[in-house]
Amino acid sequence: MSEQHSIVEIWVYLSGSPLFALFITLAAYQIGLTIYKHAKQNPLANPVAIAIILVASTIQWVEMPYTTYFEGAQFIHFLLGSATVSLAIPIYRGLASLKGRSIPLIFSLVAGGLVSIVSAVEIAKLLGADSSITGAMYPKSVTAPIAMGIAERIGVSPTLTAIFAVSTGILGAILAPFVLNMLGMKAWWQRGFAIGIAAHGIGTSRAFSIHPEAGTYASLAMGLNGVISAIAIPVIYHLFNK
Amino acid sequence: MISGLVQILLFQSIGELVSKFLLASLPGPVIGLVLLVLWLVLRKGINTELALVADGFSQYLGLLFVPAAVGVVLFLPQLQANALAIISALVGSVILTIGSSAFIVRFLSREDAHE
Repeated sequence: MSEQHSIVEIWVYLSGSPLFALFITLAAYQIGLTIYKHAKQNPLANPVAIAIILVASTIQWVEMPYTTYFEGAQFIHFLLGSATVSLAIPIYRGLASLKGRSIPLIFSLVAGGLVSIVSAVEIAKLLGADSSITGAMYPKSVTAPIAMGIAERIGVSPTLTAIFAVSTGILGAILAPFVLNMLGMKAWWQRGFAIGIAAHGIGTSRAFSIHPEAGTYASLAMGLNGVISAIAIPVIYHLFNK
Repeated sequence: MISGLVQILLFQSIGELVSKFLLASLPGPVIGLVLLVLWLVLRKGINTELALVADGFSQYLGLLFVPAAVGVVLFLPQLQANALAIISALVGSVILTIGSSAFIVRFLSREDAHE
């Protein structure tokens, strides 16, 4: 048996099992985390974005169909539901530190959620995006695991939604300090809350790296925005898309 | 750690059941999340096992949506064709969302702002 032949056989064996998909996904994320750490946690070096680009390039390079990849990687994907349930813990911690600030937070949450949807959908529509794109924009400020659940419910692509959600998180983490400084926002809890509404998990980890109070409020905002959006977005979506 | 995972999976399963039989409009995990928050409020605390698992999940949350997001390879032509609209919408929307949320939370809590 030639060496060439046996390598092909090993490859056929590996690519048929979940091992390859699991390995490249975890390895790519690990590389992403390392780069992120070396870039001093610069939001541009987001580990998730790096992992997505690395895995997507790899499966294209080895000409593995996405469905084959997903068959293996679904074991990671499955944990999204459990991770969503775990968001109860940061919400509970945030609620415990609310100290009578609930009214401004609720109004801000509802307004921010609506502005996020309307502005994204309208700008995209204005510039000629089709309905599969604008539909996937609805849950883009929601934390990705919940956003993908919402996308499934309203019948838009969970993949596009995940891409838009990750991009929104990165953009929010980069732009939030400028916007908040321009508005002269001083209180950490208010800054954190605004970041959590707009930029969910990626914004929240940025908020935590700046100030613990900002982080707590950002994760509270992210969790509450997820719950409210899961209820409200299907209704809003059907209102505008009959 | 196992006990924490059991608690999470228990609430996830209850959530899925409620979603299937009572509240089909909400994803099961979101119902599980709400029930778990209520449970924690009733019990007035998080046990360490649960905190351990939940913090692990939130620390590596990003990893979990890589498999779905890699599906971007199926959408590349569509994304390229709409690149300007998508980028403008995402950038414009995130600025407006941060701005409006921040403005409202400050406006409604003025007495609290000086800390």
